[in-house]
Amino acid sequence: MEALKNKVNELLESGGIAGFLGLRNFGSEPFPFLFTRDTAAEVEKITTGAVRYPLSKILIRIAAVYPDAIFGIMCRACDERAIIELFKNTKLRSDKVITIGISCTDDLVQACKCENPQPSNLVSGEAGKKEFDRSDVQKIASMTLEQRFDFWTEQLGKCIKCYGCRNICPVCFCDVCTLEDQPLVKRGEIPPELPSFHLTRAYHMAGRCVDCGLCEEACPVDIPLRTLYRRVRESVKELLDYLPGEERDKVPPIQVLGDGLFEIRD
Amino acid sequence: MFGSGAMTNSIAELEDSKCIFIIGSNTSEAHPLIANRILRAKAKGAKIIVADPRKIHIAFYADIHVRQNLGTDVALLNGIMNIIISKGWQAREYIEARTENYAVLQESVANYPPEKVSEITGVSVQDLNAIAEAYAKAPSASIVYAMGITQHTTGVDNVKSLANLAMLCGRVGAESCGVNPLRGQNNGQGACDMGALPNVYSGYQRVDDEEVGKKFDAAWGAQLSRKPGLTLMDMMHAIEEGQVRALYIMGENPVVSDPNRAHVESVLKKVEFLVVQDIFMTETAQYAQVILPGVSFAEKDGTFTNTERRVQRVRKAIEPVGNARPDWQIICSLSDMIGYPMNYNEAGEIQDEIKSVTPSYGGITYARLDGDGLQWPCPTSEHPGTKFLHKERFTRGRGLFSAIAFKPPAEASDNEFPLMLTTGRNFVHYHTGTLTRQSRSLDDEQKEGYAEINPLDAHKYGISKRDRIKVVSRRGAIEIKPEITGRVPEGILFIPFHFAEAAANALTIDALDPVAKIPEYKVCAVRIEKVA
Repeated sequence: MEALKNKVNELLESGGIAGFLGLRNFGSEPFPFLFTRDTAAEVEKITTGAVRYPLSKILIRIAAVYPDAIFGIMCRACDERAIIELFKNTKLRSDKVITIGISCTDDLVQACKCENPQPSNLVSGEAGKKEFDRSDVQKIASMTLEQRFDFWTEQLGKCIKCYGCRNICPVCFCDVCTLEDQPLVKRGEIPPELPSFHLTRAYHMAGRCVDCGLCEEACPVDIPLRTLYRRVRESVKELLDYLPGEERDKVPPIQVLGDGLFEIRD
Repeated sequence: MFGSGAMTNSIAELEDSKCIFIIGSNTSEAHPLIANRILRAKAKGAKIIVADPRKIHIAFYADIHVRQNLGTDVALLNGIMNIIISKGWQAREYIEARTENYAVLQESVANYPPEKVSEITGVSVQDLNAIAEAYAKAPSASIVYAMGITQHTTGVDNVKSLANLAMLCGRVGAESCGVNPLRGQNNGQGACDMGALPNVYSGYQRVDDEEVGKKFDAAWGAQLSRKPGLTLMDMMHAIEEGQVRALYIMGENPVVSDPNRAHVESVLKKVEFLVVQDIFMTETAQYAQVILPGVSFAEKDGTFTNTERRVQRVRKAIEPVGNARPDWQIICSLSDMIGYPMNYNEAGEIQDEIKSVTPSYGGITYARLDGDGLQWPCPTSEHPGTKFLHKERFTRGRGLFSAIAFKPPAEASDNEFPLMLTTGRNFVHYHTGTLTRQSRSLDDEQKEGYAEINPLDAHKYGISKRDRIKVVSRRGAIEIKPEITGRVPEGILFIPFHFAEAAANALTIDALDPVAKIPEYKVCAVRIEKVA
């Protein structure tokens, strides 16, 4: 924690950043907080928090208001993967964001079992080991088609349409959301249409999902959303050789139409 | 009964229950987080029973779903108990050790053999047997209910019948069991706990008890009445008769939420002086001479007590907007002006007073409420709070069985009004929409009222989904969009009560439960016409 405080103070004092987006303790609870030179005293209460929070979503809003300012942001490995996708989708500018890497606790690594829990610019904590495990995807794959259909019908049928999965997703950044498109998605009913509502979202995760698993953590009815999107992520890797968030310089497949003439630029 | 008005057990315990009997609760729409505990229990092998006339969302996850006729819950429950006793599945030792009046129950439920109950309720004998067996034989079993049980002229009878059933099988005072009413408001339990009822002070201490009266006389330095006040419905009638001349309404919107809207409006016009305290303009506030701006949850300090008796802190995040003030400050100012100064500097001082006069809150201070809060009863500052009630003994000593006879609802269908109407909630909105209809995303999700109607009825009346229909009862009429769906059985309409412009309460009947004075929102007779 001291290393993090020192780094933030150093960046604020040197003027290298206009502000640092991280977590601050309010009482015993960590909340997002933008540390600036005016609120430098608050850096004492900085925390990495036991729970994860999609800070990059907040940074998109801040950056839209201050497009020329440089901001620092606290980053776990999954946050960093998301930010890389946000750069590619022009939601953030890579020359305006400084990532400050923190390591995940052993418990978190154990719980998340993601491909890579190590951020590139590690400032706080030690590089722990990887615990990658995709047995959840394998388990579904081992089912017969009929079992799989029943499983997903039962799981997706629990949906109460709170939009929590979308709202917390660090790579859900569209101004207009297909999931709110009428008459494609009928209003006023739970569960939303099975399975199209959730498959629509799953398709939109293709080439974007960074496997942070916040969707599943946020889901109030325990739908195994991460497993669903992990499969989509793997399909994109198999079919298009692209792993979202991992390859900084590779153009995402969704941005390349036909011969590439339609590539999105700033 | 048991002697306490609250969920006997805790929300988390539902996860480990082996049988959950949901009756009169649209759990996944109205209490989604509690519904998820139930789904987790199912994943661990619990049997889920749903008794609801509508095929509600959670019914799709039920092992047994029965669609009893409207207002026949007492008959249904008596029928289940009849089967349990005739099969010898009742908890004999528990009944002997912990309850009284069993013979009376036995005698009364003998009048409800399965065939007769099937006739009254429309539930098959096979399903009655299945429910009785699942509930009585499971290692643990919970009952979950809500307004579908209470909003009847037999509301108290319905609750007593659930208590009978739970005691019959020894399901009260045990882990992952109990009788669990789900409160709709985040602080509905807290408001009742604080004595926002006509007959009790905080912690359900009776107004007409001389000892209690003396205690509060001394605490507040005043001579207090020993006479219970009026219920909401009694107030309305007293205004009509000129016995009540002023009304002060806080955070309620009776024009939309009370039955028989036309009658409510006439009463509010008649009352000489009406004060409404709320955070947004409401249909009710339109009738007020004075509107006092209260604050939202984010602008105040205090506590909320949730449905599982858990007292939790709410902390001010922003200063009150505009001229709004926390409710307690408004009340204190009024009291000062009337000549009874209330001197509190902050909400925590009120908590200290609650602690000093309320045995069940006797150990609850702000300092102890960090984190997860405390579940009452929490009588002393060392007490850890109470996960489930009635563990060794009932609050009243022994659990009391009562004989409950089935009574039909106040109104039945006839030639003039051939359909039945029931009312309830939609997952998007909360009550009269004072809060939720202000939210763009929630409003987008459900902008207008609708009447669910069975496809067979729609066919019979020549109604298609693009039509509008007029729904008429003896009280009034509304025009509304039909939603043609098998969610409702033939002969029954369902209208959510959130929408003032298509208000279900223009139709509902103001017949009351004789004891609790709760109106029968769940049953009345209507007819429909296609709007030309």
